[in-house]
Amino acid sequence: MSYLNNPAIVMDNGTGLTKLGFAGNDSPSWVFPTAIATAQRSTTKQGGSGSGAGQSQGSGNPYFGNSTSATSFNSLASAALLSNNLAGKRGTEDLDFYIGNEALAASQGPSYSLSYPIRHGQVENWDHMERFWENSIFKYLRTEPEDHFFLLTEPPLNPPENREQVAEIFFESFNCAGLYIAVQAVLALAASWTSSKVVDRSLTGTVIDSGDGVTHVIPVAEGYVIGSAIKNIPIAGRDITLFIQSLLRERGEEDTTLRTAERIKQEYCYVCSDIVKEFNKFDRDPQKFAQFIVENSEKTKRKVIDVGYERFLAPEIFFNPEIASSDFLTPLPTVVDQTIQACPIDVRKGLYNNIVLSGGSTMFKDFGRRLQRDLKGIVNNRIALSEHLSGTKSTGVDVQVISHRRQRNAVWFGGSLLAQTAEFKSYCHTKQDYEEIGPEIVRNFSLFNMV
Amino acid sequence: MPAYHSTFPVDPQADRMVGNVVLLPLRTNFRGPAYQANSDYDIIDECLDLFRANSFFKNFEIKSPADRALIYGILFVNECLSQLRPNTSYNEALKLLTNVALNDFSIPGTPGFPLNNVYSVPVQSHSEMDLLKTYIQQFRQELASRLLERLYRDSQEKPSKFWLAFTRRRFMNKSL
Repeated sequence: MSYLNNPAIVMDNGTGLTKLGFAGNDSPSWVFPTAIATAQRSTTKQGGSGSGAGQSQGSGNPYFGNSTSATSFNSLASAALLSNNLAGKRGTEDLDFYIGNEALAASQGPSYSLSYPIRHGQVENWDHMERFWENSIFKYLRTEPEDHFFLLTEPPLNPPENREQVAEIFFESFNCAGLYIAVQAVLALAASWTSSKVVDRSLTGTVIDSGDGVTHVIPVAEGYVIGSAIKNIPIAGRDITLFIQSLLRERGEEDTTLRTAERIKQEYCYVCSDIVKEFNKFDRDPQKFAQFIVENSEKTKRKVIDVGYERFLAPEIFFNPEIASSDFLTPLPTVVDQTIQACPIDVRKGLYNNIVLSGGSTMFKDFGRRLQRDLKGIVNNRIALSEHLSGTKSTGVDVQVISHRRQRNAVWFGGSLLAQTAEFKSYCHTKQDYEEIGPEIVRNFSLFNMV
Repeated sequence: MPAYHSTFPVDPQADRMVGNVVLLPLRTNFRGPAYQANSDYDIIDECLDLFRANSFFKNFEIKSPADRALIYGILFVNECLSQLRPNTSYNEALKLLTNVALNDFSIPGTPGFPLNNVYSVPVQSHSEMDLLKTYIQQFRQELASRLLERLYRDSQEKPSKFWLAFTRRRFMNKSL
């Protein structure tokens, strides 16, 4: 019964990045791309040459560093792969795969093909996902699943069949001690409790989750996602990167790779209050122009890239999508307002009052402030109009956007927070429950009612 | 938040108009029919201020006659930029842009002007069309000269590459 004392394992498998770690920690132990490289059957197997046999598996290994990008990896060709290449042995083809950064590196060679088992937040390839989890547990976390409870995450509106599939894999393949599957948006809400602005630890609020591929606006009332009101915006991290790249190209900078654009996005971009004023600020103060230096891997050549207006124009595409796309034109604050207006009237105040940010693309400086200001404008206009039409006085709506320090891995952190509580294990379904009732047991999980 | 609009108020009764184009006062030493502006900030400054922001927008709703002047100004700045190369020196650029400003240009309302659906001018009236033509001439000269100041603020040798980057952007998907 050692699982009673061991910390639970928190796994957040996103479309782009997977976050792995133990409950109670304040950041995930591993962050790497949700990617798997499998051996291609058609090519002839190269013998297990043991190319990486002499390599230490310790902390100096570059593949185990945390990632911030789902598609690129710093030193792709720089080091040999870890020595779990078992392809030389007969009958072990199933074990011949890599996950995470190693997968990105392996796919550079001829004999592996890369795939991303999660698309749009949902598992697309169960076989790959099972092997991905297997490596996550045994190679990264290095734990015995029998000894741990697991907290996994799922996107809102995940079909219950998918949950059952997850339960089958975790209880039957891995024989885990217990399982809880939480909705990502709810965990993001829980993560915001660390902010000083949050006074009552309620599970009511609007989550804006912006990762690499898509931005979701998800209303949650008392721990339940209001599925009919969820809205998606096809603007997220990757679009910002592409927009920066196009601006760099228009200016004819020396290096306009996606990687450079991504680094510029992460290091230099911020949200401004008004773009015309910001242009003028750049005119008055040349200090605002920055320079980004790219070195090649041998550090022999340097390229200097000037960073200009993209510093504030890039995140602006959330608030003015027109500047980068021609088909989607609704600004983020308007979408948030529409989402909340589509919810039952008795929860709307709570939803306006607690707008929580989550995901890497909400990390721009002043993102929350700008969103709060724009949304307040929309709400106040509507209140003024209805006061004018009805002749009565409104009590007003308090719009509050909450930024906090755990925003980047908010979902994982929320999971860590919940899974470390004493009650957590009583909310989980255990192996015994599963054997008694079957996979359909995971269709329902009781909610955390944290006070 | 949509594209930025002109902040100059226009009263069609009191201001000078040709059709629905307003002849706003300019702060300029070039000869022409425009009245001298009373304030330091005129429509030319506004065109230059809004050029970079508005260049990103493809849709623009005209809210006042001053917006028509703004559209013309922004499209003209774009045309000026397209004449310059990254290594054009100030003196060359001065010549180039003076030529662009003075060259034969199509005035609103005449065939060949790209935005005739938003400009309506009395084409039959020769005196009014002459007034419009000389006003636009003056407008172009002043705009070109003030654009040069901004482009060569940092160096006389080459124009600011941050401005030149806007050459390929098309405000409202149009160019003069």
